[in-house]
Amino acid sequence: MISAKMVSAVTFLYLFSTVLYFIYLAFRAERLGRFATGVAWTTLGIQTAAILLRWVESYQMGFGHAPLSNMYESLVFFSWCIALLYLLWERKLKSRVIGAFALPFAFAFNAYASLAPGVSAKIDPLIPALQSNWLHAHVITCFLAYASFALSCAVSIVYLVKLKKKGKMEKEGDMTGLFPALDSLDELIYRTIVVGFPLLTIGIVTGAAWANYAWGSYWSWDPKETWSLITWFAYAIFLHARITRDWRGKRTAILSIIGFIAVIFTYFGVNYLLSGLHSYAS
Amino acid sequence: MATEKEKGLLATLWDSLSSVRLTIFLLIVLAAVSIVGTLIPQNATPEEYLRIYKISTYKILRILGFLDMYHAGWFVFLLGLLSLNLMVCSLRRWPSVRRFFSPPDVKLEEGQWKGIAPGRRFSLPLSAGDSLGEFQSRLSRTFGEPRVLQEEGRWHLFAEKGKLSRLGFYCIHLSILVILLGAMIGSFYGFRGYVNITEGESADRVFLRSGQQVEPLGFKVKLEQFSVSFYPTGAPQEFKSTVTILEGERKILTEPIRVNEPLTYRGISLYQSSYGVASVEKAILDVVERSSGRGFALSLQPGARAEIPGTPHSLVLDRFIPDLRGMGPAFQGRLLEGERPVENLVILQNHPEFISKMPGRYEFRVREIQPKYYSGLQVNKDPGVWVVWAGCFLMMAGFYMTFFMSHRRIWVRMMEKKGETQVEIAGASHRNRSEFEREMDRIGQAVKEAASSGRKKSAAGGPS
Repeated sequence: MISAKMVSAVTFLYLFSTVLYFIYLAFRAERLGRFATGVAWTTLGIQTAAILLRWVESYQMGFGHAPLSNMYESLVFFSWCIALLYLLWERKLKSRVIGAFALPFAFAFNAYASLAPGVSAKIDPLIPALQSNWLHAHVITCFLAYASFALSCAVSIVYLVKLKKKGKMEKEGDMTGLFPALDSLDELIYRTIVVGFPLLTIGIVTGAAWANYAWGSYWSWDPKETWSLITWFAYAIFLHARITRDWRGKRTAILSIIGFIAVIFTYFGVNYLLSGLHSYAS
Repeated sequence: MATEKEKGLLATLWDSLSSVRLTIFLLIVLAAVSIVGTLIPQNATPEEYLRIYKISTYKILRILGFLDMYHAGWFVFLLGLLSLNLMVCSLRRWPSVRRFFSPPDVKLEEGQWKGIAPGRRFSLPLSAGDSLGEFQSRLSRTFGEPRVLQEEGRWHLFAEKGKLSRLGFYCIHLSILVILLGAMIGSFYGFRGYVNITEGESADRVFLRSGQQVEPLGFKVKLEQFSVSFYPTGAPQEFKSTVTILEGERKILTEPIRVNEPLTYRGISLYQSSYGVASVEKAILDVVERSSGRGFALSLQPGARAEIPGTPHSLVLDRFIPDLRGMGPAFQGRLLEGERPVENLVILQNHPEFISKMPGRYEFRVREIQPKYYSGLQVNKDPGVWVVWAGCFLMMAGFYMTFFMSHRRIWVRMMEKKGETQVEIAGASHRNRSEFEREMDRIGQAVKEAASSGRKKSAAGGPS
């Protein structure tokens, strides 16, 4: 399949973009930065083409469906969402410094899809439980939410790195010198979560609506559902701590990272470690 | 004394119930116990638990309610406490929210001008009346009709928008209560059951998932046909039960039920859940006589007897076993010589490799079976589900109001001096301050441009 080969190429291109963003941080050359952005957008374009091509390939095999149905497809889509959201934020903020920390996430998930032995790139027909239009709404909103949380986590890492360096003397050529001020990083951690939290809620609600059609129950405390709720609690804690108790900086950055750990466990941990109704996703 | 003490206690209770600290604490506890709940299998059988845990551990977990944790009294109590916390917090914050809904003074005091936003000052080459008109038309476009006040030679304007965003927080918290209410309605007035119906038969009651009770449906469900189809890869493509709903003996409707396509009748929904082979209508076997190598095809019904042509033997299939010790469907039968049984037979449908190894006069292979299926239907009634969806929509609306709208207030004051008008603008926004600063700049800019172009026009037209 050509699409799978394209996905493999995308892995290396995201790695390449990550390296470029790091070099940009080290040398602070504007032209280098523009080149890094260009490579990232091109990679996103190729990845988009690969996803669309896989869609076409599934129709050629006689059981066409949107490429959102198994571990491989969701990983590629997750990576795509991260890269897209990052690049949109880069445009909005007119700053590239988060890239070196955000793109590794896009790289890692895409790499996991194309390299992990347990993740098959085979296109399978949809089993009856997955034959529903809710699939699209559910998967797209969940992964956009996850991607937004991934960005928040990346910014939190930048924040903590910068905070640690700030204690020491800021020597010339130090990469963190390019980072935005701590305040604006803190603000960005919040804003990405404000985007992700409603999306996660829609993801859970569409999942519940779908479950109500497929299994006759909108909530069954299945491990996947429960973990999505735990993730929701984690970010609800973040929002309450920040909005009503005025938590800022280091503490909210750590909460954001804890939230993303919950995301990762909801996504992988439940599939691999716990059994439940979502087992077809592994 | 005693009453005062009680008051103190009540006040303390009220204080802690209205604290966000309690909210955060409850969310952390709920998250933590939910994690435990995903690690301990829920609602498994005692045998399954004893395979994982020692009997003492099992007993402790059972007493603490960890085996059906999400329905345990203490878990429901935690949810109830969270709801109470939400309500008390909301009530307590109401006065501070309500003041945003009573309109503020159009005219700000001098001190207030300093308190909100660095004022923007400029002068317009217009009379105060014309300047006022410019601001009114500009503000009513994005903010709605401004209120105006003239006092001591000064004009004051006030306009606001996005007041609703102050209520977003109420929508979100109310929505959680609505969702929990919907869940409660479902658990009190609904039921979850299941029923297995064999093709051609019908059911008018279902077994409840909780306990061993039976719930009458008030109508009859007849399974006309069950079918399953597979992709070329072997994966299942479709499970379909065609059912007829009957009221007494009157046929109401006949419709298919598929996975993801339930059938709802009189508030009760039927979902495709499982299936299996109830019995076999007819089986076609390939039979080879070992001594001669001769082959026959036998078509027979279970229970009936079929002669093997040209031999003294006949075959009876006594029983169909849907799954014989994990090896798939099998028949249990006898080989007869005249009326005398000579061999007991087990004929597996799926494992041809065993057949040649089995002793006996004949080799039997199952070519085809015409099964009579049963369909397992999940049967639920949940009158609370629409309340839950309403809660979800309310939550979405609340998120939009809270995170993507902001309450913006803008004040303008003007004074005419030597044919020009001096203008000051100030404003307050409870969210995204910098964006609002830009908006105020845009408004000022637009009014300035309109004023100068208006003056040019009147200057050009004036002398004639």
